[in-house]
Amino acid sequence: MIRPTIDPATIRVGDALPAREQCFTQVDLVAYGAATWDWHRLHYDLEYARSKKLPGTLVDGQAFGAVLARAALDWAGPRAFIMRLNFKMKSMAFAGDTLVAQGEVTAMRALHGGMHLATLVQRLMNGERVCAEAVTDVRIPSSAGR
Amino acid sequence: MALLTDELRAWIGREVHYPAREELGRASIRYFALAMGDDNPLYVDDAYARAAGYPSVIAPPTLICETCQYAHRPPDEDGYIGHEWHLPVPDSRMIRAGNGYEFMRPVLPGDRISVTWKLEDIAERSSSGGGTQLFVSSVATYRDAAGAVVAVNRETLVYQPLGAQ
Repeated sequence: MIRPTIDPATIRVGDALPAREQCFTQVDLVAYGAATWDWHRLHYDLEYARSKKLPGTLVDGQAFGAVLARAALDWAGPRAFIMRLNFKMKSMAFAGDTLVAQGEVTAMRALHGGMHLATLVQRLMNGERVCAEAVTDVRIPSSAGR
Repeated sequence: MALLTDELRAWIGREVHYPAREELGRASIRYFALAMGDDNPLYVDDAYARAAGYPSVIAPPTLICETCQYAHRPPDEDGYIGHEWHLPVPDSRMIRAGNGYEFMRPVLPGDRISVTWKLEDIAERSSSGGGTQLFVSSVATYRDAAGAVVAVNRETLVYQPLGAQ
């Protein structure tokens, strides 16, 4: 039994996505770097990071996109497909930071073939600070004919 | 001091291609999902993925846009093994400004993905601290074995001189 995909007929502009929390411990940074072939010292070598005038080991910026994509897909369900995800970094995050993905629906429109397109504005928060902002287009099939 | 030299300007328009060396593979997909703590069964359970309308497990969308997996070279002094332009910029710190991802279809474990990077623009702008920094815009196009585009990644990186701060 698979998780239901959200029914586009029930989505309203202004709907909030469930907040999705993601902590990046030093272990998580090593795991993400390993899984993405990223051996850069910035992500695990504190002395090196300080030599680059950073306060800690750095969360990979592309991980922000991964967290935002996950939050969008967790909301939309298994038949949804991300067509576009444009994110801008607003601040850096470091080992030990907990990031929270938030978002809401800003537009809905019908595509051909019984598909719908939900446009989301997403934010990745690091405490009170905005880490990244994104605009994300998610394609969702109608409930009829699934 | 002007950061954007004629030498640097000559880099605009350059392209580099990294061919696929093997299929993406199930292990890569599972590893990425595990590293993210993402328990979505679409990434590990074929029966679940088929019930959701896919031929098999699929890759999390941003996985193939991760930069380091294609270049296949030994680590440099920073430990980095991925694509980079090696621009002639004096001692600086490189920061990501953002990425624009566009996805055409879900990527499957059997896909052989190659990537072509193009350096689209280099611009010099003043920073809030009063210095100048370089904005480098590149576009990466990811293709499958048949040559069809499966994703596009527009990336902007900022080079901040360390001496000027």
